[in-house]
Amino acid sequence: MDLLLQVLVNGILQGGLYAIMALGLALVWGVLNIVNLAHGAFIMLGAYISWYSFSWLGLDPFIGLPLTAVLMFGVGYAIQRGILNLVARAPMFNTLLITFGLEVVLTYLAQLVFSADFRTINPSYSGRNIDVLGVTIPVVRLAASGLAILLTLVMWRFLLHTRLGRAIRATAQNLPAARLHGVEPRHLYAVTFGLGLALAGAAGGLYGTVSQINPYIGATLTAKSFAISIIGGLDTPLGVIAGGLVLGLIEALTTLYVGPTFADVASFGVLVLVLIVRPSGLLGRTA
Amino acid sequence: MHTLLRDGLPCAALALALSLSSPASHAAGNEIVLGASVQLTGPVANTGRYYKDAYQLAVDQINRKGGVQVGGKKYTLALKIYDNQSDVNLSVRQYTQLVSKDKVNFLLGPFASNFALADSAVSEKYQIPMVQGGGASDQIFSRGFKYVFGTLAPASNYFGSTIAMLKQLKPAPAQIALLYADDAFDVSVAKGTRPLLEKAGLKAVIDERYSSNASDFNTLLSQIKAKQTDAVLVAGHETEILNFIRQAKSLDVSPKLYSFTVGVPSEDFRKALGADAEYAFGMTAWLPSENLKDDWFGDAAQFAKAWGAQYRYEPDYHAASGVSDVEAIVKAIEKAGSLDPKAVRDALAASDFQSLYGHIAFADNGQINLDQVVIQVQNGKPAAVFDGSKFLRDAKYPMPDWSKR
Amino acid sequence: MRPLRIPLILIVLIALALLPLYGSDTIVQFGISTLLLAVLAQGWNIIGGYAGYPSFGNSAFYGLGAYGVGIAMVQWQLPFAVGLALGVILAVVFAICLGIPVLRLKGHYFAIATLALAQVMAAIVSNVELAGQNIGLVLPPLNDDALFYELSLVLLVAATLTVWWLTRSRFGFGLIAIRENEEGAVVMGVDTTRYKVLAFALAGVFSALAGGIHAYWITFLDPESAFDITLNVKMIIMAVFGGPGTILGPIVGSFILSAISEFLSSEVTSIAGLFFGVVIVVAVVLMPRGLADVARRFHRTGWRYFIENIRMHRL
Repeated sequence: MDLLLQVLVNGILQGGLYAIMALGLALVWGVLNIVNLAHGAFIMLGAYISWYSFSWLGLDPFIGLPLTAVLMFGVGYAIQRGILNLVARAPMFNTLLITFGLEVVLTYLAQLVFSADFRTINPSYSGRNIDVLGVTIPVVRLAASGLAILLTLVMWRFLLHTRLGRAIRATAQNLPAARLHGVEPRHLYAVTFGLGLALAGAAGGLYGTVSQINPYIGATLTAKSFAISIIGGLDTPLGVIAGGLVLGLIEALTTLYVGPTFADVASFGVLVLVLIVRPSGLLGRTA
Repeated sequence: MHTLLRDGLPCAALALALSLSSPASHAAGNEIVLGASVQLTGPVANTGRYYKDAYQLAVDQINRKGGVQVGGKKYTLALKIYDNQSDVNLSVRQYTQLVSKDKVNFLLGPFASNFALADSAVSEKYQIPMVQGGGASDQIFSRGFKYVFGTLAPASNYFGSTIAMLKQLKPAPAQIALLYADDAFDVSVAKGTRPLLEKAGLKAVIDERYSSNASDFNTLLSQIKAKQTDAVLVAGHETEILNFIRQAKSLDVSPKLYSFTVGVPSEDFRKALGADAEYAFGMTAWLPSENLKDDWFGDAAQFAKAWGAQYRYEPDYHAASGVSDVEAIVKAIEKAGSLDPKAVRDALAASDFQSLYGHIAFADNGQINLDQVVIQVQNGKPAAVFDGSKFLRDAKYPMPDWSKR
Repeated sequence: MRPLRIPLILIVLIALALLPLYGSDTIVQFGISTLLLAVLAQGWNIIGGYAGYPSFGNSAFYGLGAYGVGIAMVQWQLPFAVGLALGVILAVVFAICLGIPVLRLKGHYFAIATLALAQVMAAIVSNVELAGQNIGLVLPPLNDDALFYELSLVLLVAATLTVWWLTRSRFGFGLIAIRENEEGAVVMGVDTTRYKVLAFALAGVFSALAGGIHAYWITFLDPESAFDITLNVKMIIMAVFGGPGTILGPIVGSFILSAISEFLSSEVTSIAGLFFGVVIVVAVVLMPRGLADVARRFHRTGWRYFIENIRMHRL
């Protein structure tokens, strides 16, 4: 087998998983300008929901994704309507702080309710793989990447070409004007945040099948999602695909050529570099 | 008015804080208090709880069997445990509080080498003996500290019996991969494993350090497959090893053998992996065998039963280690015939008794020396395979391809 | 300065300075922790409260200070003071080299950039052999809590005096101008880049000194505890809770929050972590400008103050 080719494929597939993790964050951030520091904790929550669906109801994690997404949508709607809307017109900094507070609360509640034990979602096909030209491709990761691209395209189409999507963008860009057109912003914001969380929840379900779930995975997932969103750019939902791929490839290649302990240096280093040199990201419009 | 309020606030805060320094709680007349700061919440809580449960079970059992005799008087044991939330800094402050405010008599340890490393500085500072069963890194015992004792076998020798076994397997593995996390314990393991490999004439074609809490082993696994590695030795944490095995399956990587420093002995690890845990090798310095006799629990098998009945999960060597810490302190107290920290410390250094964990005796640097028994997951249960020199049962070797399982 | 204030502050200061004499060991330990956190909050106040650039990465400076002391004392056998100086130098170099590019970013991009920087530092240091890689360093033990306590107190006084000087200096006015209207400040001739970097460096110096003292006190450091990411939010919430952009606000915030947190840690341990999260959410919604603002306006508006905040900021 060609090691480099396999590592590249690994990186691309990891990128697909990353893209779906960051999609919810990028959506909420790019459209509503809400920076959700608790994003990773919501992915964790979605993972637990999928785990319980799998263990108690026997629901396959892929088939059960809509259920997880719907439940997380509800959670997101409630949080935005109940808490985040209260600081929507305050300086952005307040949202950062509040969402951080939410992250702390969620992590501790998760620990209380689910205990610190780690869990895995182990459907019968979880380790299956296919062999293409000497490269081993894990089936679950392939499906996750495919799903990531699909969902991203759906989001893109939704925001640009549907009434609801346009209403959401309009509200974010010009609140008074949107109100004049009869838009109910509190509801719209909540819907958008709910969508963001639904995506996070879906990502969580997938994450649980390839990795393990415990109450503390939130912080790292948030950090990665941020890096992906910024590297790819927030101006278009397609940015997360670019960001995810870049991050996945950088980590894989750094591990191969420099050493596994340098992967974080490379990922965050690239993030800092992008912020300094091109803050709008790879796919962003430099305006 | 509001200036008074504004400046009064720091005073109020100070007053609130001072009220925390209520008169120190002294132990009741004939009570011996053992204190510990353990990880009950936070990322390592699922191993930390073994220690709290162990200390509690040991204290209860010892009290049930008559308590502790000191100079003709009978004492009962009491426990004071704080949750350090898996935060080393908090752990250090809590140990200081245990010694200076709660005035406990002796200290029991936390889980994990990096915690033990920092916390033993407190026991040394205040000269109160600490017996810890959670830290095995050589660093803890190479500082010339006199007040810390450890019941976990030295990290550097964790793979000792495994490597001895490798030489006796057929076909003998030749290309070895050594992976280790970058924390104190695992680095110690790797440092000790390299000379052992060399002496055994085995070559480490991959020798990589990875970040603790890493979740992505895809690249390392691809390298293992590309180099056609025969045996993989991993020194890491349960969550990492879990990810490693699952990703090995999804990338179709199956060396002839893989062995892990943690995970295999614990029930929830095997449960999380299900059938994928099969064939994995590990090691333990303890098995619940009837041959390990104990003054309070009868023997290790009875101890395991009592533990299961009380806590509804199986104990592993962490649990046994924790219990032996309590027993070591009690034995030392009775030997010294007093509660004086220095006298008990000297008695601890001269410990020499049989317990459900094994033979308790500490080397000059304070660390115990126990041999690791090589175990393997066979039919879902950990089976003792090799005891350092001979096979106790057949090893399921080599590991079949994932597709053929 | 109102006449009542100075003697009151002096009394509190003297009471604090004499604490090691009448307080228990635990209280002194708690005191050191709290004082260092207050220093961090006060340092953050300079760049976040006055200049309006909310740094989420001051833990990078804290870690640099800790490693300055660690490397100097353990690897090169130099005295503590030299270690502190080394930490400060590292912090200043970092503030200038990385501050200049990063301070060009606005608002939450700046926040994320600083957070990313803190992560990068931790990741880099865990690979540096001189720093003991991810295992860290164990410092020679010094059994003198009173000394650490007084050092921390002196550091806090220094930081607070710096902030006080800020409020009456051209530099400070420049920072406030940057916070309120940066473009306007540039037009008025304020050298915004220099001022911002200077503010960042000041915050860095105090954070580094706090980190150095903490490292020697705990006698142990590793990348995770030295570059502790949660410290960032702790220092911010303490400064914000007390009142950002005020002189005593961060001190009050850190004292109160630390006291409650410590109380919870020792009594109701399982909820201790939860507490911070809840406080953050509640404080940001009800009193985003901190206790200082509450104290200032409460007697005029009463309980309506909190409702007003919500009404002003909600959608």
